[in-house]
Amino acid sequence: MEIIKKHAITSFSIFIALLWLTPLVWLITTALTKATFNMSFLPTTAFTLENIEYVWSTIPFGQYYLNTITLVIITFAIQFVTSTLAGFALAMYKFKGQALVIVIIFMQIIIPNDVLIIPNFMTLSELGLIDTKLGIMLPFLGSAMAVFLLRQSFKTVPRALAEVANIDGANLWQTIWRVYVPCAKAAYMSFAVISVSYHWNNYLWPLIVTNSITNRTLTVGLAYFAKSKEADMQWANVCAATLIIISPLLLAFFVLQKQFMNSFVSAGIKE
Amino acid sequence: MKRLFSIVLCVSIMLGLGSAIASASPLELTMYFPVNVGGTAAATIERFTGDFNAQNTDVRVTPVYTGNYDDTITKIQTAIQGGNPPDLFVSLATQRFTMASTKMAMPLDDLIALDPEGAEFIDDFIDGFMLDSYVEGAVYSIPFQRSTMVMYYNKDAFKEVGLDPEAPPQNWVELVDYAEKLTNENRWGVGLALNSGSAQWAFTGFSLQNCTNEVGLMSADGKKVYFDTPENIEALQLWLDLQNKYKVMAPGIVQWTDLPTQFLAGQVAMIYHTTGNLTNIRNNANFEFGVSFLPAGRQYGAPTGGGNFYITSGISEERQRAAWEYIKFMCSTELAAQWSIETGYVATRESAYETDLLKQYYTDFPPALVAYQQLPYAQPELTTYSAAEMWRILNDNIQAAVTGEMTAAEALKNAQEQGDELLFDFQ
Repeated sequence: MEIIKKHAITSFSIFIALLWLTPLVWLITTALTKATFNMSFLPTTAFTLENIEYVWSTIPFGQYYLNTITLVIITFAIQFVTSTLAGFALAMYKFKGQALVIVIIFMQIIIPNDVLIIPNFMTLSELGLIDTKLGIMLPFLGSAMAVFLLRQSFKTVPRALAEVANIDGANLWQTIWRVYVPCAKAAYMSFAVISVSYHWNNYLWPLIVTNSITNRTLTVGLAYFAKSKEADMQWANVCAATLIIISPLLLAFFVLQKQFMNSFVSAGIKE
Repeated sequence: MKRLFSIVLCVSIMLGLGSAIASASPLELTMYFPVNVGGTAAATIERFTGDFNAQNTDVRVTPVYTGNYDDTITKIQTAIQGGNPPDLFVSLATQRFTMASTKMAMPLDDLIALDPEGAEFIDDFIDGFMLDSYVEGAVYSIPFQRSTMVMYYNKDAFKEVGLDPEAPPQNWVELVDYAEKLTNENRWGVGLALNSGSAQWAFTGFSLQNCTNEVGLMSADGKKVYFDTPENIEALQLWLDLQNKYKVMAPGIVQWTDLPTQFLAGQVAMIYHTTGNLTNIRNNANFEFGVSFLPAGRQYGAPTGGGNFYITSGISEERQRAAWEYIKFMCSTELAAQWSIETGYVATRESAYETDLLKQYYTDFPPALVAYQQLPYAQPELTTYSAAEMWRILNDNIQAAVTGEMTAAEALKNAQEQGDELLFDFQ
């Protein structure tokens, strides 16, 4: 019985994995073979790098890469600091109006970002930050999601650990940095995945806030191909542009998948 | 004293130079544009704009790519509300009523009147395209990236079933007849894209071919729709019959972007598609193909579509004039011809067809001329106030008929009721 169950689970996971792999395989083979109008799952034409070359030379992807990477890293770095401090304060201290602060922060989670585009734009316009990288990042520098995750995570850290640190002479900063942050590694990992992939893939907001190539992101480059619908879909170009954009994240996933998996598992198991 | 004097002199010269430089710094204009035909169209717009900037040292236009038409609208609305509007932009011709009623774009009549060449410039635009530039009698937009629908057919398939490859179907009866002959187990006779955003375009054509009111689906002022006329019901019934009765068209909803692919793969013998696809089909067809007028019902008819230039309302007069000069440059005879060849859009100016560039192009590749010859029968696609919502209404109801939830008459009656309600405020 146990064996049957085990086999069933294994074959089901293989099935899910194949399902997940299917579009990826199609994407990569289509991007790397000569363009054809005969749609098929497996390539029927010769291998070529022409699609990648064409796409790369039509759109300034190099600049877009630099911009996207800068944005993603700086956004996450600042979120790390702001959310750690906010999460810690909300988890550890009691103060007047605490419940209200928590409710206000968490309400933000349920408001979709697209609804805030116009008010955010108006604020940035008044600050003179339209068409700047800071303008793209500013609305995201604090994250309700991260505060929530970290607050929950910090609450599970036994107080005794902090007390021991205090006895050993650690001040508040050292306690946060040496005790709480390492204990919440799983939560940080989960949030890093959410934050990085969100900002890597964000399209509408960067498109609206920026006007110049020096500030635009990879997704805007993809739109030139993927959103051109007047004629027919040039799948080879769309796939080539997509491949250019997803490769770093895909690579990161393959390299770090153990850590990701662990982080989600342990973040889930904790009460 | 002498020293002080020379310092004062130096400073005043520097100040003078500074102000001279300041006054020579060009007027900066921003233009938003969507791209709907692949990456190279953006490069073409940027190149044309570069030429304009080189010729006009006192104005500098920065073109900003803004995604597809929907993204562009979102970006324009956001930018205007945020007090950071572009000076001019390209948007769908069908947006003009909305642009006018929300005061996002300005009427251009004063600019045209001030310009000695203005009237002549406007007169030179092809009527079929200029038709959808007016709101309440005022010019609100200038035709730029415009397309129309033609029929592509597979000559090899025609030969195979004994049809004359030089005689494509002229009317609906022949369409059905030919499509029946062309259909076999590996091939559909005819193809139409019926997804949202395409069905209303194709239906405009069929409505114009069959109508007796000369306007098809809507009144020219954009305040009335005529969806449930017997002629329109007949047109929609033809679509349903092609699928269900004659079984010569793929059942269900085929996507706009998939149809040319199916045509090129030999899975459909005749397709209704945009002129914008001509270059793609020419480059990829491994069979002989032809381009023809859309088959007539009571008369010929075809929809036009695509984007026009608008100038944002509320910008200074100096900026308005500069924007107008830019539009005139981009729509000049030579560039209209060049733009048409590079992108597959139809040249919008009569005079463009007199240029050596286009003449040569048509000599080398006669099928390209079909779209131009059909233009006298072409009229704007479904355009009303609240255009986006009206498109949704018509698309949803047509699709309900195609999927068998409603009959043609029920679907168009339903669309009529919803359309009347939507336009109630504008009467």
